[in-house]
Amino acid sequence: MTSMTPGTAEFLLAFADDEHLMGQQHTEWIGIAPFLEEDMAFASIAQDELSHAALLYAIVADNGQGSPPDDRAIDTLAFDRSAADYRSAQIVEVACTGWAHALVRHWLYDTAEELRWSLVDGSSLEPLKDAAAHAAREERFHVRHADGLIDVLAHTPDSADRLADAVNALLPLATGLFEPVAGEAEAIEAGVTSAPFDTMLPEWTNRVRARFPEIDIEAIAAPAYASRTRRHGDFAALMSRMNEVRGIDPTAVW
Amino acid sequence: MGRTWSSMEDFEAFLDDGGMVEVDDDMPDEYRTAVFRFIELHANSELMGGLTERDWIPMTPGLRHKMAVLAKTQDEIGHGHLLYMVAADLGVKTRREMLEDLFAGRSRFHNVFHYPARTWGDQVAICLLVDGAAVPSQKAVYKDCSYGPYKRILKRIIAEEGFHLRLGEERVLRIAEGTDAQRAMFQQSIDDWWWPALRLFGPDSRPDDRLARWRLKSEKNEVMRAGWVQKFVPMLHSYGFAIPDPGLTHDAETDTWTCGPIDWEPLKRTMAMDGPDTARRIAEASAAWENTRWVRDALDAAPAGAVA
Repeated sequence: MTSMTPGTAEFLLAFADDEHLMGQQHTEWIGIAPFLEEDMAFASIAQDELSHAALLYAIVADNGQGSPPDDRAIDTLAFDRSAADYRSAQIVEVACTGWAHALVRHWLYDTAEELRWSLVDGSSLEPLKDAAAHAAREERFHVRHADGLIDVLAHTPDSADRLADAVNALLPLATGLFEPVAGEAEAIEAGVTSAPFDTMLPEWTNRVRARFPEIDIEAIAAPAYASRTRRHGDFAALMSRMNEVRGIDPTAVW
Repeated sequence: MGRTWSSMEDFEAFLDDGGMVEVDDDMPDEYRTAVFRFIELHANSELMGGLTERDWIPMTPGLRHKMAVLAKTQDEIGHGHLLYMVAADLGVKTRREMLEDLFAGRSRFHNVFHYPARTWGDQVAICLLVDGAAVPSQKAVYKDCSYGPYKRILKRIIAEEGFHLRLGEERVLRIAEGTDAQRAMFQQSIDDWWWPALRLFGPDSRPDDRLARWRLKSEKNEVMRAGWVQKFVPMLHSYGFAIPDPGLTHDAETDTWTCGPIDWEPLKRTMAMDGPDTARRIAEASAAWENTRWVRDALDAAPAGAVA
């Protein structure tokens, strides 16, 4: 077995960090969503994203050796890196405290993720290839869930306005999902993924335009790219909560 | 409309013969109200229990561990969802009316969810001691339950609660074998949660308990409570934890543990919606409900067939 290059590891970590933090953000809505069915839907979607993250972190931790890593190795990658070492996009780091924002982020993210997983369905990394079709199908279900709600909410002026505000606020951050991470070229070279993720940006933008036709997408400026190395202002508080119990005793197994 | 009964005597004779009441039966109003209140209390408690757990999901140590806690929380809220539907079918209140009453502090939920979960140890203690009390209580209702829709839902709930209890047992074992910091945290949690969990069974059953008469309960509170003490005292002792009950006694001949005198005042306060954390919990749940009212209003106003 050959070890993966640092670039490939960084590419996979960016993917994993997005899935991890998106799953984490969805868990925040369980119990306080608008109705019980949504509590459970957000829980299911969060489960899917966290399991994608666990799979991706496991591939990095395994490092091509073919032996499944234990939970501790996965958690070291998921929780113990410094803020500067995370490669997540800011759309999964921002705290969405209103449900319109949470729903719009859910749609924007899952629409992008369906495309991202389709790029790795012929991956040279067997576990990634094996998971790709299933994960893409899950992301498609997530989009369908969000679509169903957006369809209904678009009928009422007040709720349509709330969704529009959310799209305007979140779209620049969501385009950051397509920002190339350093190492993507190595991952393509190694056959881990088939193309740069930003080749999917036009398709994603078309889907956004079709979903939210009243939004002037071109008028919303994307933030300057920094290879996913800049953290959103909400990141530190999020990580602090996530590590609150782990920090009590770093030697403990819970 | 299903079956009818000419009198309460006639209905009780039906129950005595092992009869099962279904939703479309013309059941006596007293029975309908009693069953409804019982299921509403259960539904509210599942939901408030889920809210207790949800607060700790972000802090759950470990990614896969978090997925297990998330699944458990989803189960609890799912139980609430199923129970609210069964209760709503009785025609006393709609699901939304039940939730509005809960979030306005007008309806009850079990005593244990009137307390704050301050630490991760509390979260684990709830998973062990509270779920450990819920399972025998629910089994006792399921065993001879006269209301068919509730009995069928309970079968699934009990199966899932059994998994939760095993999760609690596993987590306690890891803590018991863990570091001094973990053990100290969990001892404090036992100190804080032992009595609230024990009081979940309620005071000794009254001989004239209508819920027993109508086969909603098939076991006396004191019998279930004694079984719980008998299960958890040896388990926690074997892990080296202390039980915060100075009156606890052990009969060596029968190897039976018996708890000391029980102070019922805290239970009465929670039943009067005046527990240690009642006000904060209701206020938080109510604020969340208000924050998303616009979604429910929009869905109510949407034309039929709005979903593509």
